[in-house]
Amino acid sequence: MKWCLSLLLCCFLAAVNALSSSGSRLLVVLDESTEKSAYSTLWSDLEGRGYDLSFESPKSDSLSLFEHGERAYDHLLILPPKSKGLGPNLTPKNVLDFLDKDGNIILALSGKSSTSSAISSLLLEVDIHLSNDRSAVVVDHFNYDTVSATEKHDVLLLNRPGPLRPDVKALFDGEGVLALPRVAPQTLGNTSPLISPVLRAPETAYAYNPKEEIPAADDIEATGSQLNIVSALQSRNSARLTILGSVEALEDKWFSATVKTPGGKKTTTANREFAKQLTAWTFKETGVLKVGKIEHHLASNGEVSVDDLNPKIYRIKNETFFSIEMSEYAYDKWVPFRGSTGDELQLEFTMLSPFHRLALQPTGKTETSTVFSAQFVTPDQHGIFSFRVNYKRPFLTNIEEKHEVTVRHFAHDEYPRSWAISGGWVWIAGLWSVIGGFLAFVVVWLYSAPVVDKLKKTQ
Amino acid sequence: MAQSSLDVLLKGSSGKSTRGLLRIIILLTIAAAAVASRLFSVIRFESIIHEFDPWFNFRATKYLVQNGFYSFWDWFDDRMLPPSQCLRVVRSPRYHRAALIQFLPHLGTWHPLGRVTGGTLYPGLMVTSGVIYHILRLLTIPVDIRNVCVLLAPGFSGLTALAMYLLTREMSHSPSAGLLAAAFMGITPGYISRSVAGSYDNEAIAIFLLVFTFFLWIKAVKNGSIMWGALTALFYGYMVSAWGGYVFITNLIPLHVFVLLCMGRYSSRLYISYTTCDHMSALGVFGLIQLVAFAEFVRAYLPGKQFQKLLTSMVLLTFGLGFTGLVLLSVSGVIAPWSGRFYSLWDTGYAKIHIPIIASVSEHQPTAWPAFFFDLNFLIWLFPAGVFMCFQNLKDEHVFVIIYAVLSSYFAGVMVRLMLTLTPIVCVAAALALSTIFDSFLVMTKPTPESKEKANADKSKAFSSTKKPVVGIYSYFSKAIVTGSLTIYLLMFVAHCTWVTSNAYSSPSVVLASRLPDGSQHIIDDYREAYYWLRQNTEDNAKIMSWWDYGYQIGGMADRPTLVDNNTWNNTHIATVGKAMSSREEVSYPILRQHDVDYVLVVFGGLSSGIWPDEIKERDFFTARGEYRVDEEATPTMKNSLMYKMSYYNYNSLFPAGQAVDRVRGVKLPAESPTLNTLEEAFTSENWIIRIFKVKDLDNFGRDHSNAVSFDKDLKRKRATKKKGPRVLRTE
Repeated sequence: MKWCLSLLLCCFLAAVNALSSSGSRLLVVLDESTEKSAYSTLWSDLEGRGYDLSFESPKSDSLSLFEHGERAYDHLLILPPKSKGLGPNLTPKNVLDFLDKDGNIILALSGKSSTSSAISSLLLEVDIHLSNDRSAVVVDHFNYDTVSATEKHDVLLLNRPGPLRPDVKALFDGEGVLALPRVAPQTLGNTSPLISPVLRAPETAYAYNPKEEIPAADDIEATGSQLNIVSALQSRNSARLTILGSVEALEDKWFSATVKTPGGKKTTTANREFAKQLTAWTFKETGVLKVGKIEHHLASNGEVSVDDLNPKIYRIKNETFFSIEMSEYAYDKWVPFRGSTGDELQLEFTMLSPFHRLALQPTGKTETSTVFSAQFVTPDQHGIFSFRVNYKRPFLTNIEEKHEVTVRHFAHDEYPRSWAISGGWVWIAGLWSVIGGFLAFVVVWLYSAPVVDKLKKTQ
Repeated sequence: MAQSSLDVLLKGSSGKSTRGLLRIIILLTIAAAAVASRLFSVIRFESIIHEFDPWFNFRATKYLVQNGFYSFWDWFDDRMLPPSQCLRVVRSPRYHRAALIQFLPHLGTWHPLGRVTGGTLYPGLMVTSGVIYHILRLLTIPVDIRNVCVLLAPGFSGLTALAMYLLTREMSHSPSAGLLAAAFMGITPGYISRSVAGSYDNEAIAIFLLVFTFFLWIKAVKNGSIMWGALTALFYGYMVSAWGGYVFITNLIPLHVFVLLCMGRYSSRLYISYTTCDHMSALGVFGLIQLVAFAEFVRAYLPGKQFQKLLTSMVLLTFGLGFTGLVLLSVSGVIAPWSGRFYSLWDTGYAKIHIPIIASVSEHQPTAWPAFFFDLNFLIWLFPAGVFMCFQNLKDEHVFVIIYAVLSSYFAGVMVRLMLTLTPIVCVAAALALSTIFDSFLVMTKPTPESKEKANADKSKAFSSTKKPVVGIYSYFSKAIVTGSLTIYLLMFVAHCTWVTSNAYSSPSVVLASRLPDGSQHIIDDYREAYYWLRQNTEDNAKIMSWWDYGYQIGGMADRPTLVDNNTWNNTHIATVGKAMSSREEVSYPILRQHDVDYVLVVFGGLSSGIWPDEIKERDFFTARGEYRVDEEATPTMKNSLMYKMSYYNYNSLFPAGQAVDRVRGVKLPAESPTLNTLEEAFTSENWIIRIFKVKDLDNFGRDHSNAVSFDKDLKRKRATKKKGPRVLRTE
């Protein structure tokens, strides 16, 4: 019902203009209104995609992420404040609560000034680490802009990122060069599977604090591609938090700047497209999956009547058919989902541990979705099983479907009859020979009464 | 004249029929008394199913009645009915606090394994009450299946009293023995403990079947009749379908036959009755009796004394061969005929070492001495006397009584539960003894001189040791003394039985009654409060983990699936639950996640070790001084166990700072509450008997629960200190 309504709402609004799949209220937190004009292209781009922008200063008393316990905004764009900290309304706890309630956040950092400790401890919670003194800048002596950073080499020029892994969908790729001035680097922890790098620094890059001496080799935490320029967290409820190391990259100036790599040609930057991709992903215009109809039924009888659809109970060793419809949101509409090559959607038939783990093959298509299906035989084990589709990939919203069914044992009349089992013939023969023998004995006994008795009786 | 009219009634053939009529009336009265004394619980509380197992039996019966026998047979216990059909509110005047809920449960247990219920239970009980229900319906008596179930046990105890009369009647010529035995059986607490109204368990009908099967068997042995043998077999089959204790019959009857054979008492009667009711598991004795029959047959044609020797040696040789073969096979592990419970019968320590799950059940514990007196009262000292009487009068049936008495008193000493099988034979023996006493002391007339002379004549003929003693008391005074004292004993027995029944065995154990300091009765209804909370506040298929004792009740009353229940068919699964309960949170949490547990229910206190001896060591829960402590000096293992944490979580908040005391154990607890990271408290019942905790989902941001909790408490996280060794690089 809920998704029905939201779909209806989506369709209605999509007719008006393009829109995120999860709401259009966007709050921009930035320091002074003078700064606002520097990003005018970004604002107009976002408004053009259907967002209602509101601007607040982090120190403002009226700034509140929640109203009556619910989110007051759908998305949040936080630009680095000049002063220390984000103020009392944007404590790490508030920000995490906002994510808990399905809000999405872009958090921009800047290497120009040191990052506040509030942000650092917020990022620490999600296993993203800033440099020790929180004021490092990424420098690369091979991929810098010769036009604007001839001396300091702190404006990186990078190609747009390809797919993270061969089996992950590339959502941020494309032609062109990105200019990323004064990047505050992040490193990612090893343990959390929820975080992933969007854009990594080149191998030749390193980070250092321009105000201090270059540290001893032992103290260097990370170099090269261990440094992230843009990194992303997608929490378990699929809320998204993107950390952008260089807020300046979003400025109008860099959207259309002309740059030149050492030994390269002069080109204009692709920052604008990248900003679009980044905001679109974070605010759930791309990489959003939706599960449509899920059907399962017995496979043996070909045609399935409505009564037999999605039965609650199966028997062991039943042929079973399972299908699931998947759609993906592409900026303004739902389209059939296509997994990237080398990746597959999997179905698990689980009780405590999976008894089957099968690849779901795309077998059909509707206007907005792909139908994936698989056919299998239920295992020889009774219990309460579940059809599980657990599809969690970087940059795609989490799909975790679980449909419980009962797998029962054979009923007493579902086994083959005794005479159908050749091994049982011995016993059947024994049984009937005893019965026959007894009857024969009775007959013989009855009709062979001794004659002597009769004689005695007559006497 | 009154005298003459009495004479008319008591003498001659009309006297015989009058006595018959009286006997019937007495028997019916006994049966009525047996039923009535079991109704305490219904009167005091309400018509409710008691304890743990009966809840499941009730549920199964409900299913049987609603879906018919075949689907009951094929029943896979996962869920039964749509919830809308399951709720029925009954207002009871006895509970002012809340309306009671009687309902048809619909969700199953043993998540997620499921249970092939139809194949793993003893259907006798359910089928019996189903049949009764349908007959009553057929007679257009609209009765609720719940009432059939509640009253089944009292009804059958009435029948047991009748069967007892028949059995004892076979043992003794005195009809008073039968009547006494019936009366004893009707009210002895040893049997009442398992058959009060609402105690809807297999034992309810099984004891009747046991006694009746034995009666039929004795009858068959006495008469050598195929009909009685066949009837024995039929009732034995019924018994097998009703109670796991049928092995008792399976072993007792062949043993009886074997002993008779060894005593050289083979007869065609024995042969006929035994072969008619053929027992599979007693195959050895079956074969033996065939051999003996063959030998007897041969002997009929062959003269010669030495044949007797040949026969005996042949029998012993065969038996010896068979026995050694069996022992060899068992030892070499080819066949494993004895289950763990069986071993625990021989060695009471066995269960503790090998199957703690069995040892952990209180009814599998060895019986305490007072329990014998508590359950059987003065019958227990009449019992040996009765057995002695059987030796005096050693017929086939008396051999049976002796064997039965010896076996069952040993078993009853080993397991509290088997007190139940001891009770019938105690009643028989005691009745035999008592009736002999009464028959000699309750005779108004003095022994006639003829009998005395006859006795004297006997004396001259036989040795004094083998002669029949002169029976007869001359003094009215001694008669009055003995009769009077025995009457007092009998009256005390009745008073004791009533007291025990009313106080010890009639509480439904779901509801506890306690006395307040001012003497008023206070009813502790925490269990139902908690189950009702689960019913009202959790999702329909929320999985509840609890220790298995409470499985049936949660299934029945809270109507939620549980991980394990009282049908302990899968020890590993139960042990997994035990492991989850007694491990550290970090160990427990993955287990809880794997089993999709939503809520954990704990009963205040209680610990047990499962079959994960490597990981859960009972030893670790005890302190260095070998004590089981929950206070400040508790061992770290104890303090870190989920069970301990759940029990005492926030417990100190009930008390002024630093004064938390566990009143049950009478110990002072640490001032600080244990911290729980992976669970959150959902419900605590009024008297803190039951606590329910909700299992937290994984953290939204992939943190540890302990980190998340400390973040929520606004504790600053220390930046991870630098690890030694080379940095581990993140690879994608």
